[in-house]
Amino acid sequence: MCVEGCGLLSERDPDAELLEQVGRQDPAAVRTLVARKLPRLLAVATRMLGDRMEAEDVAQEVFVRIWKQATRWREGEAKFDTWIHRVALNLCYDRLRGRREDPGDDLPDEVDPAPPPDARLEARARGERVREALAALPARQREALVLTYYQEMSNTDAAALMGVTVDALESLLARARRNLRAQLADSGLSKDKS
Amino acid sequence: MTPERFHQIVEAYGADPRRWPQQERAAAQGWADAHRAQADAYLAEAAELDTWLAADHVALPDAALQQRIIGSAPRRRPAAPRHAWWWSGAAVAGIGLLGGAAGALAVSFFVLTETVPPMHESSYLTSSFGGSSADWSGE
Repeated sequence: MCVEGCGLLSERDPDAELLEQVGRQDPAAVRTLVARKLPRLLAVATRMLGDRMEAEDVAQEVFVRIWKQATRWREGEAKFDTWIHRVALNLCYDRLRGRREDPGDDLPDEVDPAPPPDARLEARARGERVREALAALPARQREALVLTYYQEMSNTDAAALMGVTVDALESLLARARRNLRAQLADSGLSKDKS
Repeated sequence: MTPERFHQIVEAYGADPRRWPQQERAAAQGWADAHRAQADAYLAEAAELDTWLAADHVALPDAALQQRIIGSAPRRRPAAPRHAWWWSGAAVAGIGLLGGAAGALAVSFFVLTETVPPMHESSYLTSSFGGSSADWSGE
């Protein structure tokens, strides 16, 4: 897990060498980069958008931009992983604005508290309830939580990526978790805990 | 580490110390050890939500998506084998040199002898009735 201290620019970017090879259009490097980054990009886009197909479109668009930038990438200006997250999030926000979802910090909607129909589907149902609760969060709270919890970014990397201070990031995280807890409590957070 | 700061950390990052800010992690864990009951109350609430968050899994990308993305990458044009290019260049250069050497040899031969070597008369210049065209020129 890379939670803190792995975002220092003084360290060698772990993707730099691979990116140089991609810039030389090395087919093996292209495959390696896709295998390394596609799951992360797909995860962040899926959680931000709540829609798998849209998330796949976003991931593909990010890679189109990677191919364009690979030959011009200069190590030290930004970590490559941070940059691709910024590109992915910008594309996600474009789509959220297209849906007229306010990327601000408003209050979330209620999550459907209906219990799962079948015990065998419990794990899937729990995941779906979390996804619904995440989708109902204000976009900035969702972004903060997705970057730090699911993408396992350090607080300094996530704050820099979002263009906020670490204090502001922590405030977004605390509000995100409170909102999620309130929504999931309605759908049985305590009693469904396994 | 104050109780307020410990609470802030747990509220923001959850109950797992691995997710806490690195520079505050040791102090926060020390505070929790020294104030077990109070810490556990904060941690229990956060751990419950952590369990929920961990239930959300995003399916891995399928092979078709991976292939589409790999196919969108610019491809390096296959380079002509370097040795073949080298050999063809060397062959052209060699033929040129040989031609030049042959020409120089012929010129130097004429200059030194100052005589035109007798040429074999082509058959189309002669007939069965007479000698060569060179004989008629003297008449």
